[in-house]
Amino acid sequence: MQFENPFGVAELIELGGSAAVVLLMIGVAAILGFRMSARIDDGELTRLAEAEGVRVDGSVIAKNGRTALARLSDGRVMVARVMGADVSARFAPANAVSLNVKQRRLNATFADTGFPPLKMRLDEQPAWLNEFSGGGGSSK
Amino acid sequence: MNPPAAPFEIPPIITYAVPAFVLLIIIEMIYVRFAKKGGRYEYRDSATSLAMGFGNRVFGIAFGWIAVVAYFWVYEYRLFNLGWTWPVLVACFFAEDLAYYWFHRIAHERRWFWASHIVHHSSQHYNLTTALRQTWTGVLGLSFIFWLPLVYIGFPPLMVLMFSSISLVYQFWIHTEMIGRMGPLEWVMNTPSHHRVHHAINARYLDANYAGVLIIWDRLFGSFVPEDDKEKPRYGIVSQLGTFNPFRVAFHEWIGIWRDVTHAKKLSHVVGYIFGPPGWSPDGSRKTSASIKADWAKQQKQAPPPEAVAAE
Repeated sequence: MQFENPFGVAELIELGGSAAVVLLMIGVAAILGFRMSARIDDGELTRLAEAEGVRVDGSVIAKNGRTALARLSDGRVMVARVMGADVSARFAPANAVSLNVKQRRLNATFADTGFPPLKMRLDEQPAWLNEFSGGGGSSK
Repeated sequence: MNPPAAPFEIPPIITYAVPAFVLLIIIEMIYVRFAKKGGRYEYRDSATSLAMGFGNRVFGIAFGWIAVVAYFWVYEYRLFNLGWTWPVLVACFFAEDLAYYWFHRIAHERRWFWASHIVHHSSQHYNLTTALRQTWTGVLGLSFIFWLPLVYIGFPPLMVLMFSSISLVYQFWIHTEMIGRMGPLEWVMNTPSHHRVHHAINARYLDANYAGVLIIWDRLFGSFVPEDDKEKPRYGIVSQLGTFNPFRVAFHEWIGIWRDVTHAKKLSHVVGYIFGPPGWSPDGSRKTSASIKADWAKQQKQAPPPEAVAAE
């Protein structure tokens, strides 16, 4: 059996046309103003935690309101991240999060590869974050 | 024996449908923008969905031939010579839709197939661009095996591929919040209302409405859940992704499987991580759909009935 390159001229034209159409639709969406950006505040963190049946015991929210990390009443952590008009929240056991705070820059990575690393600048470093780093999660 | 030739030239159904897809998406965007109802759009979310659709085409061109070769190879060993007749076409429509139902159900219930299908559910929005948020790893993940029994029975491979394409095109328009309920059509057809339930992450809606074209399969196999006007669907996946990066969307669950398998301590754990339900773990510390639904059911039992609350 002989294998041929599946990407012939017709396929390349099709893909080129598809790419142009994709760009057109993204352009229309942008022109129509679908560029919302949510902000995370304490109220939003409380709402997200309550939806999971837990309380927020402590939190840090990035200055721009786009990311946040919270310690929950059941010992887990919640990572919140603005996704356009939505806030995406992920709950993880403390031992699945690796925290690193250096010069007020927090860097958190997750055992679950689905969630991108969290990077945020802190105005202040609350005590609970140190406790959390030292106790529950692994801190580098 | 060569497969019987189709009595007509089968058009590239999906390619022909693309202009309609584009037009309908733009109409929906304009409606949502100016009517301020009928769904939500976010341009980065739509960009990711469209990039996934584009990548699906790239991977389809690169690897789609594997599925086609498998279809024709199995067809060599077919049980019956069904050929291209009207009764066979009608039977094939139903058989393909049934095969899709089981593919789709297992794609939600077994992590190997979920690793590909999760892509389609990864948006927190539900609009026509979500329909195009398609996997890049479907063929490589062997999703096509669910249609092999059809060609083994004797349905011509091109007939099966034709109905698969029709099903895919049909499923485009049901990804919308613009359309409410559709009267008697809701009894037999998969509709926007039924499919909103399928995309929802509310506990009551999890793992429901797997239909392609006909909702009858869900009613028959006990997976049908109607949309409840009192509980608006929330969309996405139980553990939201938190990224618009198409590559992370495409491959994160495969990487998750790899990571779990390489850290597994027993062969049974390896099998569980690959073929168990999504969220399976040896110690049960992660959440599966079943555990989320069980927790929810427990909460419902503990909560006082609405009449009691109203009386207080």
